Amino acid sequence: MKALILLSSLGVIALLAEIFSFKKLLYPIVLLGLITTFVLNMFDWDTNKLYFKMMQFDNYAVAFTAVILVVAFLWFIMAEGFFKEESNLTDHFALVLFALVGAVMMVSYTNMAMLFLGIEILSIPMYILAGSNKTDVSSNEAAFKYLIMGAFATGFLLFGIALVYGATGSFDLSEIAAAVSGGTALSSIFYVGVLLMLVGMAFKVSAAPFHFWAPDVYQGAPTVVTAFMATIVKTAAFAAFLRLFSTTFSGVSETWMQTVWVMAALTLLVGNITAVMQTSTKRMLAYSSVAHAGYMLLALLAANNYSNSAILYYASAYSIGSIATFAIVNIISDAKNSDGVDAFNGLSKTNPMLAIVMTIALLSLAGIPPTAGFFAKYFIFTSAFMAGNIGLVLIAIIASLIGVYYYFRLIIAMYFKESDGQTIAVESNHKIVLVIIAIAIVALGLFPDYIIGLL
Amino acid sequence: MIKLVWLVPLLPLIGFIIIGLFGKKLSKGIVGIIGSGAVLGAFAIALGIFFELKGSVQKEHTIDLFNWISAGKLSIPFSFLIDPLSSLFLLIITGIGFLIHVYSTGYMSHDEGFFRFFAYLNLFIFFMLLLVLGSNYLIMFVGWEGVGLCSYLLIGFWFKNTAYNNAAKKAFIMNRVGDLGFLLGIILIFVTFGSIGYHDVFEQAKNMASGNATLTAIALLLFVGAMGKSAQLPLYTWLPDAMAGPTPVSALIHAATMVTAGIYMIARSNILYTLSPDAMNVVAIIGVCTALFAATIGLAQNDIKKVLAYSTVSQLGYMFLALGVGAYTGAVFHVMTHAFFKALLFLGAGSVIHAMSGEQDIRKMGGLKKYISTTHITFLLGTLAIAGCFPFSGFFSKDEILAHAWEHNKLLWFLGILGAAMTTFYMFRLYFLTFHGKFRGTHEQEHHLHESPKSMTIPLIVLAILSVVGGLIGIPEALHGTHYLEEFLSPVFESSSFRLVHHLSHETEYLLMGMATLVMIVAIYFAHSIYVKKNTVPAAEGEELQPLHKLVYNKYWIDELYESLITKPLNLISEAFYKLVDNQIVDGIVNGVGSLITWLSSVLRLAQTGNIGFYVFVMVISIVLILFTQLF
Repeated sequence: MKALILLSSLGVIALLAEIFSFKKLLYPIVLLGLITTFVLNMFDWDTNKLYFKMMQFDNYAVAFTAVILVVAFLWFIMAEGFFKEESNLTDHFALVLFALVGAVMMVSYTNMAMLFLGIEILSIPMYILAGSNKTDVSSNEAAFKYLIMGAFATGFLLFGIALVYGATGSFDLSEIAAAVSGGTALSSIFYVGVLLMLVGMAFKVSAAPFHFWAPDVYQGAPTVVTAFMATIVKTAAFAAFLRLFSTTFSGVSETWMQTVWVMAALTLLVGNITAVMQTSTKRMLAYSSVAHAGYMLLALLAANNYSNSAILYYASAYSIGSIATFAIVNIISDAKNSDGVDAFNGLSKTNPMLAIVMTIALLSLAGIPPTAGFFAKYFIFTSAFMAGNIGLVLIAIIASLIGVYYYFRLIIAMYFKESDGQTIAVESNHKIVLVIIAIAIVALGLFPDYIIGLL
Repeated sequence: MIKLVWLVPLLPLIGFIIIGLFGKKLSKGIVGIIGSGAVLGAFAIALGIFFELKGSVQKEHTIDLFNWISAGKLSIPFSFLIDPLSSLFLLIITGIGFLIHVYSTGYMSHDEGFFRFFAYLNLFIFFMLLLVLGSNYLIMFVGWEGVGLCSYLLIGFWFKNTAYNNAAKKAFIMNRVGDLGFLLGIILIFVTFGSIGYHDVFEQAKNMASGNATLTAIALLLFVGAMGKSAQLPLYTWLPDAMAGPTPVSALIHAATMVTAGIYMIARSNILYTLSPDAMNVVAIIGVCTALFAATIGLAQNDIKKVLAYSTVSQLGYMFLALGVGAYTGAVFHVMTHAFFKALLFLGAGSVIHAMSGEQDIRKMGGLKKYISTTHITFLLGTLAIAGCFPFSGFFSKDEILAHAWEHNKLLWFLGILGAAMTTFYMFRLYFLTFHGKFRGTHEQEHHLHESPKSMTIPLIVLAILSVVGGLIGIPEALHGTHYLEEFLSPVFESSSFRLVHHLSHETEYLLMGMATLVMIVAIYFAHSIYVKKNTVPAAEGEELQPLHKLVYNKYWIDELYESLITKPLNLISEAFYKLVDNQIVDGIVNGVGSLITWLSSVLRLAQTGNIGFYVFVMVISIVLILFTQLF
């Protein structure tokens, strides 16, 4: 709750900065604010407080909030350039901060109304941010597509919520759960509602076949915004997805299990296979992001005690790996005006530091030990295996083999291709953060217990 | 002192680490001092342990160092076992090892790989100590593999020579065949007894019936391991080739220590063998066959080191014969005396080669006794010892083995004494051809002849003294002496010895000793008359030989047989698999999958049209499908 209040206040301060003209101070204020929020959020650990039967800051919520805050902090540093343009600067700040507010709500709701509010508070700033590069046609296109498709999906989500409410007479998750396990036969509209909510959530996490928006939007939006969508938005959406389906709707799992199974398999295969032929790194990472949603769906399907921590670990590993890759893609494409795989040729000679960090991040995304990505996949696969989804685990393993191909294509370009000799200037704060991320990826891989033991 | 046993292997290990890491920057003198000093330190501690053990009542000490592996019901401590057997081996390894280190400082002084050589030697000593110190089969196995590795590194020490590299590979691979047997034996032990600690295994084994099939299987599997490491038929061919390594290596590894690992293992597991008479018979038969077979090959070899190599194979055969007839003490006794005189002979050969500027062919030597008298005298003493001349060390140990063989089976004895006659003959042939007659080398070599430096001759003298008097610790009762070694080792073989009672009258023993001595004298006489009186020199390369001579000279074509029976078919199969399975099937599948994925990717990519109408259409279709399939 403290995190929620503080983030909202930061958003308001960002808006006031325009009026009281302390724009220059805003960046440090926000960074400091995020650190404070992170610390205060930790005080909620083990308190398990329920607020107005609307939100509950249990350890699940606190842990995911912490992950979101850490990733947001890293993101702010990598996206410094995004906050340098004179016009709309405060708007950018405010939009991002309010999006974070929405994300925190999505990991802590106990009421479907709060879920819906959280999703919308997160999504609406994202629609705007996707189009924040106003002079760029593809950025506009991305914003427009995202809005239309998002609105469409929200419609289904809202319809689903309404139907569930109609069947159970409540928005409250625990009351719905009680009705599900109550023994009295539920009206059939309840099941329709659950499936429609599933569709809405699947859209938000970009699971196939509701993923079509993702590659287009990810590619069109400014790279920093894409990075935000691929990490924070996805983490929050998964936390919300899991919170709803692993507890409230677990009593009717036979209604949605099969669908999630098919969606997971489709997402894994479509994401990974389509990524193979991409020449733009940004688009490739977009498909990779779709693919990673597939892995996380595996844990949702397992829905055992293990899956909460598995998803938390996966989201952390995936998010910091993605932040690093998107940041480096951003640096390269700014310098070379191209985000093609060719732009990475010979990077190990011209910018060895970037190449090494990129390699570590890609290895983590591909799931090679001893990086965090390996254990992320390991935990997910184990939880799915224990739940008996052996077929799906096999598909996931094949999919990650395909994944190795396109991640390594970049690594090969960096190490074995001739460069054009141009050394790219990298700001020192970026360098520091990139090295920290690289260390964190390896450290998470070496000591996975620190996160996996939390929940 | 016993508490300090962990220092014994640690010192050479530290020596290896220091020399291995910094050897390049250190001077040769310092490398030599560190390398030899580490082994000397280990020897001093080993000596302390030996005397403490001799004086104490408790003959078995287990020193637990740390918990090594614990998984499931398998728990293996890293601990050392100090008992008479291991302490005796400690002395042999560190003692002979130290002498050979000192010798090497002289022998290798001109070699550019000097520091590398000492690093490997120290590493070898470390693994060998681990092998004999471990209190369970796994530590023994680690040492076992470690000495195999060092042997490989040292045989191929002059790695620029392809033939030497091939010899190194041959040794390694052939040892691996044996290792597989050893490993299977260890696994079977674990399955049978639930433990691989010596104590647990032997305590349980004691109560099993003699002739138990599982015990026999274990004993035979372990023996396969011993065959590889100790170069017994049919896995012996690597040892003669191993002479490619520098001569001190041949002395240390391929004569005095590593090859005796197989003997140590069987002596250690004596109770398992005592309880499986069939396995014992196999050991005895393989042993005596090897002894005889290698001796015949030794008759016709012309390379000074090859003769000694075959003699090593042959002597190892005697040790296995001893083990096979239950003369465990005799086997260990022979290990010890053999370590003395074979190290001496090899180092002497090294000194000869050193003097001859690298020449190893005895046909090109002759008359060397004038030039290198220290080497000559020590070599002669070694030759007498290996021939089993009274009262040299070889006499007592060989006599003990042959006496037990007689008792067990007269045929074994007969074959044994036949081998001993050949041993005497080829050793004296070697001695006469090298040191007597006229010099047959080039003028340049003659000009260059010189005695080796002190660092090489002093070890020779020490070893010569040991070869002469070393047998006195095991004088048989028949000669009114005391068998100190038997007394000392008795706790180790306690549970076996009451099952194998020996009763041989003194008269028979005198008779056997007399026979052995007679046979030896006859053999020396023949060698003398052929190579000294008639001045015969073995036929030069390329000359047509008598069929039998040709057969032996070519080592029964065993190498060629293995080549065409095993190596070539394996290579053919390998090539077939490479061309068909790997290139066609495996690569075909891999590349096929790759192309399939790329094709799929290019198709799936087309679904991403960029058209919102299409996206929404797919969404709606999907939702309809979901609702339809899940609700109806």
